[in-house]
Amino acid sequence: MKEKSILTVPLLSPGWKKVAFVFFPLPVLLVIGMAVVRMDIDPDDVAQIIYGFWAIGFALLNLSREKYEDEMIKSFRLQAFQTGSYWLIWGLGALMLINYVRFDTITSEIFTAYLVVFLLNAYIYAAFQYQKYVATKDDN
Amino acid sequence: MKNTIKVERARHNMTQQDLAEKVSVSRQTINSIEAGKYVPSTVLSLKISKVFGVGLEEIFELEDGD
Repeated sequence: MKEKSILTVPLLSPGWKKVAFVFFPLPVLLVIGMAVVRMDIDPDDVAQIIYGFWAIGFALLNLSREKYEDEMIKSFRLQAFQTGSYWLIWGLGALMLINYVRFDTITSEIFTAYLVVFLLNAYIYAAFQYQKYVATKDDN
Repeated sequence: MKNTIKVERARHNMTQQDLAEKVSVSRQTINSIEAGKYVPSTVLSLKISKVFGVGLEEIFELEDGD
């Protein structure tokens, strides 16, 4: 059956996973480097730099092909995106509730696009890896 | 959904890897189908039954909860 081209998501080659893992220590080193050269940087900006880099790292992992990109992996990938969105909504809801109880407001500076994109991609990655683990844990 | 892929493989003296190569999926996918952890698509089910030369319903069978 032909897929609608507008809905097709092109995946990166598996080699991009190695690039993705560079994005996890990179912001930490960058922030340390900025502190060493005494750049005047806001602590809130430090968190955003880290969230942004980690969001890119997880996005690259989520959009990289597996060695065998067969129908089971494709179905796990679809489920992971759905589960990731679900966890994100509940997670943000919980953060809003905590914020409301502690500070009497549901909005906060911590709710940035960088944080949301990072959390979404992290949840998708976790859901995908969990499904692969369950499928192969009693491999015989 | 129950299946008799393991039995059919034994009858045809095939490994999971052999079957996986014939239907263009990974060995882990065949293993998951045999263990009932993954329900294959209609296309993959037809490919598997074609490899063994038997009808679809001879390999796959619905269970009460399905």
